[in-house]
Amino acid sequence: MTQIATAGPCLPHQLLRAAGCHAGPLAFDHDRTPTRAEAFMESKFMPWAPLVLDHWLAGDYDHLDAVLFSRADDTSQRLFYYLSELRRTGRAGGPEPLIFDVAKIPRPTSAARTETKLRELAERLNVTAAALNDALTPAETSIPANDPVCLVTGTPAPDDRLNDAIRNAGFAPVAETLAQQWSEDAPCEPADDPFAALATALHALDSGPRAFADPAARMARRIAETQAQAVVVWRIEEDEAQTWQLPAERRALELSGVPHLVLTRRDWFGRDGAADEITALLKGLAR
Amino acid sequence: MNASANQRSRKTLACTQAATDYQKAFGKELRRRVVEDREPYAIVQADTPHELFHAMDIPIITNQWWSAYISAKQLSSRYFDAMVAKGYPANSCKYCSLGLACTLANEPETAPWGGLPTPTVMVARLTCDCIQHVFGQWSEAMGSEFFPMEAPAWTDADPDWFAHSRSDWERVYQPDRIAHMVDEMRDLIALLENRTGRRFDEGRFHHLMEQINVQEGHIWEAAQAIGAARPCPVSIAEQMPNTMIPQWHRGSDWAVAHAKAFRDEVLDLVARGHGASSNERRRLMWIGAGVWHDPGFYQALEEKMGAVFVWSMYMPFAGPAYIRDLKGKPMEALASRIASMNETLHLPPWMNGWMVSEAQRCGIDAAVMLLPPDNRLSQSGNKLTAAALREAGVPVLMIDADMVDAKVWDHDRMVGMVEDFLLAEGAAA
Repeated sequence: MTQIATAGPCLPHQLLRAAGCHAGPLAFDHDRTPTRAEAFMESKFMPWAPLVLDHWLAGDYDHLDAVLFSRADDTSQRLFYYLSELRRTGRAGGPEPLIFDVAKIPRPTSAARTETKLRELAERLNVTAAALNDALTPAETSIPANDPVCLVTGTPAPDDRLNDAIRNAGFAPVAETLAQQWSEDAPCEPADDPFAALATALHALDSGPRAFADPAARMARRIAETQAQAVVVWRIEEDEAQTWQLPAERRALELSGVPHLVLTRRDWFGRDGAADEITALLKGLAR
Repeated sequence: MNASANQRSRKTLACTQAATDYQKAFGKELRRRVVEDREPYAIVQADTPHELFHAMDIPIITNQWWSAYISAKQLSSRYFDAMVAKGYPANSCKYCSLGLACTLANEPETAPWGGLPTPTVMVARLTCDCIQHVFGQWSEAMGSEFFPMEAPAWTDADPDWFAHSRSDWERVYQPDRIAHMVDEMRDLIALLENRTGRRFDEGRFHHLMEQINVQEGHIWEAAQAIGAARPCPVSIAEQMPNTMIPQWHRGSDWAVAHAKAFRDEVLDLVARGHGASSNERRRLMWIGAGVWHDPGFYQALEEKMGAVFVWSMYMPFAGPAYIRDLKGKPMEALASRIASMNETLHLPPWMNGWMVSEAQRCGIDAAVMLLPPDNRLSQSGNKLTAAALREAGVPVLMIDADMVDAKVWDHDRMVGMVEDFLLAEGAAA
């Protein structure tokens, strides 16, 4: 059976599930030293990229048939080109790199391109409208029940290391890891034309670095939805995109009146004491 | 400090001064139209379809040109500091954001031209993660409208694209990508007609595209001659303005005439055996944006080591990037260029394929590559290109430096690195 892993935001997970080939988000070891990748990849990529490339060059993904990258993320799309070239020149083997050419500009031409590319992928994977409709289920939203919520926004974290600090301080984290971003369904109900419906949902999905939604408004909405008692804005050094929204986000935070901590230019691996700073904020609130 | 530090590069061509003079006069004329006469105008990225604006006689200010103008007035640090004071992280990408920083600083007393009036539209192609945020916020700050353009994925990659770009461009640049860019350009035309009342004339546009072919054909012919000549007749410091300044005005009578005059001057120098350097023994390739704040860098090792920079991307790129057999489809031909300019310069297999071919065409002995530490787009494709060049027998030195920020550029250190590299590679005999 074909196995396709995902490596980027705004991808048609329901389509992969309908095809029975979804292998989940591409896994990688956060503690790996990417020595093989250093020969080919420059320094400013998001830190997950050299790790993925290193695993790829080591043959660790050879069990997969393909990996689906996304044009909704600069690092993801560049890695697609790098891997395509490394395979072409015989420097790498492994699965076939694919890219989902999701177009995010809020204009009919971009919506139409997204639909065209979705239909092309469906055809490649032999997914029928009925099968896709079966895979379209409303996205689940879960809000922690008891503990006060600490909302974390900004760069998706590599794993639960920041969330653990939040839990240890007596708060419930509402945050997104990279694997969760790479698994996020575009909310879509079954429809007469499920391809068009899913394409519309992907085009409009408001997460990821190339989303056109107002991040400050999105954050304010998330604060209201989660009834957050604290907010952490956490962005890493390599984040070139949403970091431009920081002034607007600061204004939104001030307006919300919710206690908050803004951490920018941070280390994705959390080796810079970010967890301690978050703990200090939350424990101060708990007292 | 080395004697070459802070030196101006030697200029020997009459064309170079003519191009510089024209650009200065153009700057004054542009200011008159935009600031004094308050004509509708646009702020656009360099890799957007300027031809549409030219065909509609709508003035444009190119973001990169405006940034250079601000930098030349020594205002970049002031405006970037102002941006940080407004809450932006200090490491935010500076490559395309100086214009935004100038607007946010809101200092009419220091800003060039007293600051820009509100443009009709601002146009950028989304070739990285930050540009939509920069232009989105800039247009909001100026009360303008942002027209983003997609950079669709390019999946049918031809490493030899440059050999087929003129005649087989429909295949090379991928039909669905071309069609998408055409659709976007039609939307942009409709917006411009609606906002400005000016009409898009298909005949005028077609003529413009034909003239661009003529212009870039002259530049391409000159580039071929320069690559074949020994010694190199024209320094990269003179190749660049004679290519780029006409390219800002591409298709105009002046631009076509200037390209022809430049070609003629180059061919004359080649015929006379003139060398830009009197001591050319090793031919170097410069990969990256120009370090124009230290033009003496390129000539620092000519006398001592016979090391001459004979190649930078600006001039040879004119042929494959611009020239298209129009086939009665000028809009599609233009779309094929817009859909590929950034990709071919910064992504594999296009970047490395072309650079290796150019190194072989020009008899390059070694390459020096700029690797800006804080800019993914500018870094992108460099290591794979270095690997490809090395495989082709061309040694490569990668320099971690930022071409934008003169403050962190150490002339003596950079020259020393090149010298050590050439000595180590035995390429400076």
